[in-house]
Amino acid sequence: MTSFAARRRTNIAGWGMASPFAAILAVFLLVPILASFAISFTSFGIGNIQDWTSAQFVGLDNYTKLFADDAFVRSLRNTAYFVVVGVPCTIVIGLLLAVALNQGIGRLRGLFRVGYYLPVVTSIVAIAVVWRYMLDPDVGILNAALAQVGITGPDWLGDPRTTMPSIIALGVWRNIGNAMVIFLAALQTVDRQLYEAARVDGARGTQLFRHVTVPMLRPAILFTTVITSIGYLQVFEEPFVMTGPAGGPDQAGLTTSLFVYQQGFRFFNLGYASAAAYTLFMFIVVLAIVQFRLLRSRA
Amino acid sequence: MIRQTTAAVTAALALAVAACGGSDADQAATIPDGKATGTIDVWAWGNEGEILGELTKQFEAENPDVKVNVTAIPVDAAHDKILTSVAGGQAPDVAMVGTTWMGELARTQALDEAPAEIDQSQFFEGAADTVKVDGKTYGVPWYVETRVLYYRTDIAEKAGITEAPKTWDELKQAARAMKAKGGAKFGINLSTNNWQEYLPFVWQAGGDLADGETFTLDSPQAAEATGFYKSFADEGLSPNTTKQGFDITPAFVRGTHPMFFSGPWHMGLIEEAGGEGFEDKWAVAPMPAKQTNTSFVGGSNWAVFKSSQNREAAWKFVEWTTKPETQAAWYEISSDLPANQEAWELPALKEDPNVEVFGEQLNDAKSPPPFPRWEEIGTALNAELDKAIRSAPDGRQAAQKINETVSAIGAA
Amino acid sequence: MTVLDVPAVRPKARRKSRDVTGRAPWWLFVVLILGLLAMVGPFVWMLLGAFKTNADFIRTTPTLLPERWTLDNFSQLFSKRDFFRYFLNSAGIAVVVTAANVLFCSMAGYALAKLKFAGHRPLMGLTLATLMVPGSVTLVPLFVLMSKLGLVNTYAAVTVPFFAGAFGVFLMRQFMHSVPDDLLDAARIDGAGEWRIFAGIVLPLLKPALAALAVFQFLATWNNFLWPLVALTDQAKYTLPVALATFSIGQHKADYGLLMAGSVVLVAPVILLFLALQRHFTQSIAMTGLKG
Repeated sequence: MTSFAARRRTNIAGWGMASPFAAILAVFLLVPILASFAISFTSFGIGNIQDWTSAQFVGLDNYTKLFADDAFVRSLRNTAYFVVVGVPCTIVIGLLLAVALNQGIGRLRGLFRVGYYLPVVTSIVAIAVVWRYMLDPDVGILNAALAQVGITGPDWLGDPRTTMPSIIALGVWRNIGNAMVIFLAALQTVDRQLYEAARVDGARGTQLFRHVTVPMLRPAILFTTVITSIGYLQVFEEPFVMTGPAGGPDQAGLTTSLFVYQQGFRFFNLGYASAAAYTLFMFIVVLAIVQFRLLRSRA
Repeated sequence: MIRQTTAAVTAALALAVAACGGSDADQAATIPDGKATGTIDVWAWGNEGEILGELTKQFEAENPDVKVNVTAIPVDAAHDKILTSVAGGQAPDVAMVGTTWMGELARTQALDEAPAEIDQSQFFEGAADTVKVDGKTYGVPWYVETRVLYYRTDIAEKAGITEAPKTWDELKQAARAMKAKGGAKFGINLSTNNWQEYLPFVWQAGGDLADGETFTLDSPQAAEATGFYKSFADEGLSPNTTKQGFDITPAFVRGTHPMFFSGPWHMGLIEEAGGEGFEDKWAVAPMPAKQTNTSFVGGSNWAVFKSSQNREAAWKFVEWTTKPETQAAWYEISSDLPANQEAWELPALKEDPNVEVFGEQLNDAKSPPPFPRWEEIGTALNAELDKAIRSAPDGRQAAQKINETVSAIGAA
Repeated sequence: MTVLDVPAVRPKARRKSRDVTGRAPWWLFVVLILGLLAMVGPFVWMLLGAFKTNADFIRTTPTLLPERWTLDNFSQLFSKRDFFRYFLNSAGIAVVVTAANVLFCSMAGYALAKLKFAGHRPLMGLTLATLMVPGSVTLVPLFVLMSKLGLVNTYAAVTVPFFAGAFGVFLMRQFMHSVPDDLLDAARIDGAGEWRIFAGIVLPLLKPALAALAVFQFLATWNNFLWPLVALTDQAKYTLPVALATFSIGQHKADYGLLMAGSVVLVAPVILLFLALQRHFTQSIAMTGLKG
């Protein structure tokens, strides 16, 4: 049915159905995004608030200044730290969890699934206070527990060496549920017979895991890795609530999104902040493309 | 009497000048004689946001045709929200603003200049300075706070100290003694990342943050102050890191951190946390001195926005809050200290000896100049100070690094 | 062949005991329970904290159970702090945005997946691209846009921009692939218009997906903090997260009991909704993952 009339009918119906979304996308997303992009080439600051056209064009200045800015470079390092450690932790723990739940914990699986997914659905505003309290070196429950076994816990959020690990722990805690759930479902579709065949060949336990489970789960693993990486590159809420908008001791918790917020929202250096945001965006796109390439070639 | 005459003369002059200048919406408003009318939208945050309603009720009673709408906004986001509102053309009529925000807000050109009828000399000098930007006066001080020394008298006694430390040397000795003999974990709690605690030391040594538009934190006096401030952490007398959300109150009550510098709000907090019988175990004292014992003066100011549809009523409200009687009444409601020096003569403020310490300190208290980029400067100063305390080899190099960082942002 | 073709076969092959590699060792069970405690622990602590007085929070050694149980925090929230109104605000906004999303995203998803209309590829590309743009980029420009439209401090400001999200469209589009083209072609041959096909055939088939989207969107809207904070200036319109931040985090101290109670109010509806719909929800996320 590829006649002109049919094509036209499809187009009209298609645009008819997609137009509410397209309109919202255009007005409330694309316009601000483009405006922000334009601003990144200007020195838009607090003095330009009343009259937007008074902002001065500065070309690539903002971008070059960024890489000479200690705080920005540190934020890139911190973000990379978060992603490089956080993503594998989330994926691995999520995977092991899914595999464990898949093995004969059948009855309680529902309970575990809900319990492990709970952190995903709750507001960071509510969670943050609890976590900060738990990590308090003097009255927090973590150090109290460590003290029971004779270890003096560090000042988790105050010591720059343990700041990012604490933030990563919160991030992983919040997101394991997502990974787990995807892997659980993926495991359901792995053909039982593959396991039988492997067992017949003499494989046991971890060997089964390595040679049957992991290869069969590759698409799910890669998908989760991509999504998690993209999300973690933009990590904002966890460091914001744990270390405050300033980024913590030695700015150990300053991620790039937090840097953008600081520059744009607190100091109103909108031009500079937009440039930082778009630099981050470029990293995200590059990473996404790289990972998608890997995904495609396997599928 | 003289004040009223001065005010009248100033008002007359202002009117004359205004008449010469021709009609211009950018003129400073004048306060009408009659009652206020219409609605006034006021934004406030923190404790003030919650209880301001009690004060505005009184204003409404005196001005039956006016309605004051108070909106409370979250403390952490107040500054950002006010800025964003200005950007979006959505500023309220009146907003409570931090004393260090005036320079920035003035730069947006959204602020209305204060009417000349309001006599700025009735306020503490440090507070009055915070509303002056580039020779113009925007807004009015509402309430002030200043920092003094809180200390555990019982732990001090145990350590052999009978009087509050009055000099830098005595402070250091007291800290050492409280840790060694008083049984405390630390001698004092000095924040590693709060310029409000650090700058007073610079001022006390005779130095300053800046001279005009040049930063002077690398001067010998500032270097000495930085070295002294840092030495507490170096000697283990104070923690060498300060984290987000650290609450000194329970630590003070527990006795692990027996001294700290803070404003008047901690009096109530300590009373509450300490419970019965704790009043005898602590006291406040003025800042210990080097060349002077200058402290930091903070508080909040009122800003009125040019975009306000009801500027006259807004200014009338603002002026009303600065009257000595209103200031004393607000003190009773909120425990906020009056910015108006005259209010301190009223009986309400003479009852508590601790409050008198604050009144005394207010006579020598400063604030940083109203640089438009203060948010950035403050944040950078805090971060650099924090780092320097842990890793700079000495006070001079620490001060130099701090000065470099803030100079890079600039005073303009 | 999509992965969804497989499950039709699975259930028959399933045996009574679902284990694949033998029964789970007891230590594994213990590890899982410990992990569960780590996941759920903070919520239990939060719930208990809501019944504690502030004194309990500043004592030297933390305790799990309140020293003295009190309902003060909750009564304060609802009488003094007007939390019921904020609850209604949050609920109303979340319901409206969720309904709009379910409708508009499924429409757009269908169009993008099944109707190869002119320009559908660029539109899809744009959709994916916006998913990668950091949220901080748009905050201030969006606010200024809202103000130019005269929409600041209106319920419209916190609902309309979210009526159809890129994520929702992406999700729906993926799910559309599981609707067989033959079914649609057959209907077309019978003379049914696209709208009728959409409403009569596609939507019923996609109930789980719609449920998933509904839960996702409800959660996201309910928990949204930064934008309502900026866009709403009238206290009466505040949503729960904004109110929580305003009233329990003071400049000089935090009222922990109040904060915990407020957090419970914030989190409880989400958890209840989640429990009610979790089967649809978790299944559906999983499906997105598999299709990739």
